[in-house]
Amino acid sequence: MNINRMKTSVATAALAAASLTWAAQAQAQDGEKFKIYLSLSYSGNAWQSEAANIVKALAATPPYDTQVELIENISGTDPQAQIAAYESMIDDGADAIISFPISSTALNRTIRRGCDEGVLFFMYDGTVTEDCAYNVSFLSAGFGENTAQALVNELGGKGKIFLSRGVPGNSVDQRHTDGAMSVFSKYPGIEIVAEYYSFWDDRTTQQETAKALAAHPQVDGVWAQAGEYGVIQALLDAGRPLVPMTGENSAGFRRALADPEMQAKGLRGVSSGSGPAQSGYAFKLAMEILTGQRELEPQNIEYPLPWVPAAEVKICEGDSYTDGCNVFPESKVPSSFVSEVLNPVLLPEINVESALNGTPVPGATIQPLPADVVVTANNEPGINCDPCEAAPDLYKLTKVEATVQP
Amino acid sequence: MTQTPEPTPFTQAGDTRTSAKISRDTISAVSVAVLCVLLLLSARLVSPALGSWTQVETVLVLGFFLVVLSYGQGLVILSGGLDLSLPATITLGGILATSWVGANDPNAWYLLPVVLMICGLVGLMSGIGVVWLKVPPFIMTMAMSIIVASALLGYTNGTPRGAAPTAAVALMKTELLGLPTPVIVLVAFVAMGWLFQSRSIYGRYLYAIGTNLDAARIAGVPVTMMQILPYVISAMCAGFVGIALVGYSSGATLRMGDDYLLPSIAAVVIGGSSILGGRGTNLGTVGGAILLTTLGTIISALGMEFGLRTVIEGSIVLFALLLLREELFQKLRNLWR
Repeated sequence: MNINRMKTSVATAALAAASLTWAAQAQAQDGEKFKIYLSLSYSGNAWQSEAANIVKALAATPPYDTQVELIENISGTDPQAQIAAYESMIDDGADAIISFPISSTALNRTIRRGCDEGVLFFMYDGTVTEDCAYNVSFLSAGFGENTAQALVNELGGKGKIFLSRGVPGNSVDQRHTDGAMSVFSKYPGIEIVAEYYSFWDDRTTQQETAKALAAHPQVDGVWAQAGEYGVIQALLDAGRPLVPMTGENSAGFRRALADPEMQAKGLRGVSSGSGPAQSGYAFKLAMEILTGQRELEPQNIEYPLPWVPAAEVKICEGDSYTDGCNVFPESKVPSSFVSEVLNPVLLPEINVESALNGTPVPGATIQPLPADVVVTANNEPGINCDPCEAAPDLYKLTKVEATVQP
Repeated sequence: MTQTPEPTPFTQAGDTRTSAKISRDTISAVSVAVLCVLLLLSARLVSPALGSWTQVETVLVLGFFLVVLSYGQGLVILSGGLDLSLPATITLGGILATSWVGANDPNAWYLLPVVLMICGLVGLMSGIGVVWLKVPPFIMTMAMSIIVASALLGYTNGTPRGAAPTAAVALMKTELLGLPTPVIVLVAFVAMGWLFQSRSIYGRYLYAIGTNLDAARIAGVPVTMMQILPYVISAMCAGFVGIALVGYSSGATLRMGDDYLLPSIAAVVIGGSSILGGRGTNLGTVGGAILLTTLGTIISALGMEFGLRTVIEGSIVLFALLLLREELFQKLRNLWR
């Protein structure tokens, strides 16, 4: 553990040094820029890298390139480190902090202090319960219950299933699983034969699924969080037929859903879940507020739940999601690439190279967000507000209807 | 007076100690194996599908990575060191296999040995730092780990690209003689490892160095070379694991090696080696690695809270370690006498 932490902190220091020199150059050109900090958790998985890359690409796209001084900071997986980072950013006179929060509660006091000094806080994907921060997240959009219902529909209301969960003790994993259980528990025909933690990682998912398959000769469906591509690989490794399953947005999973060979083996399902595009959306909202184009009080803002059933998967020929395509081919991105990183409505100015390298698209300019884009999110106690009342229809289905009755 | 029996007991004691030394290592290797089988059989209580041949295959394939890795770690520990750079070196092997070999020509199997050599270079640097610059192994290998991991973060921009080389996929996903290929490769690897460690002069040198460095030097062992060598082998084993992992899961990530450091040390210690060096067999280490993997497979089939599962897993590891301690064998041997 300590070694990992040290590793991360050294990497952080190196990156921080690099971004500081870059920042110094930028400032030399123009002293009037908005100072915006990007505070990440750990850079080293595809999701975090893509989220950071698109913000960097947007900040380098005109007219933001002359308006923004963007400084990146990586805090590892330790809330204390992120608190310290926020403190320095506030003291350095940040105009806004765009951040993936490591904890939903530990950062509150520091955020409060920043708000009092006029700093805008924009959280993406993860949320904080401090109400002076803007939370931009899909968490309230019901990933768990919608995917669970889709799986139940595919299975006709009965069958043995695996749950491939995220990180134990994590509030996001808990919210997804609670949502899913609100559906599964209604169907006595659905039997959860194995439940394991896959840490949102393809390789861990594959190994944990392989172990579960060794213990359970029959499985009819899999409900998975991120890492879902590992489920397919484990089934193929074991020489089992594929089964209906739900998962998040990896390119490997989406391509498999569209692959006739995989379909013939029994794969069906839906790709949904967390997308790195949330960071770009949060950044653009923050910029529109800073430049006076939009008035918005701090609130919980919902990122629409990505929802791509097998029938709607379409492989892109170009570098962006045009004509309704929603996944890149193997020649462009690895299977771990998180597909929900571009968004034709919210982020039309970037492409796949931006997500991979943080480079702007030549000739592109920032397009304003649609005027009525902001959707207020439901209250989720302990996740995006505290103390607060949960909405009575917290686990209401929004993407699917129950086609089978219990 | 004339019957002073002093010399006789002395030789006898010497003989007993030699035979005791051999049998102790054998016993610890055998006990680990017995423990594995017992675990697998008792697993039937958890789920009737467990304990089957399919499960044994699953365990062997999943255990492949840990067995290879802990062999290298075992050699380093035997020579009196410790290798903390394994996670970063695994990742190095995996990233080079995908982003360099796989991205250019996935069929270029002949580049994979080059990947192993590059990993070996990392080990060489650790070894040189430990032996010539006298940096403690703990610090030296940790520093190498940080350097390699950070370099990889920079090299990949956070997203490792490319596909798994076909040779790596073939290694993990095909069958040979009715068995999964990784199982066959594993057996060959263990046999070679055993020949090197227990039947070659170099293996003997390592025992000598780990037991007493000065004595080994006086006895004419090429200590400098023999202290560096384990780090090189360990790094190459880690690189091999990286390539195998890429073949197994069809892609690399920057944290792919993180879960293996502590298990690699645990496997060596459970297998009966001394953490201080100079003692232990590679068969014991193999047993330790398989035991840990078996345990993981069974534990994850228990329908319990994750926290409780981890507590049970930790307790069994502790129990196995206590059970396989030398004192216990000494007592057993005394009973038999």
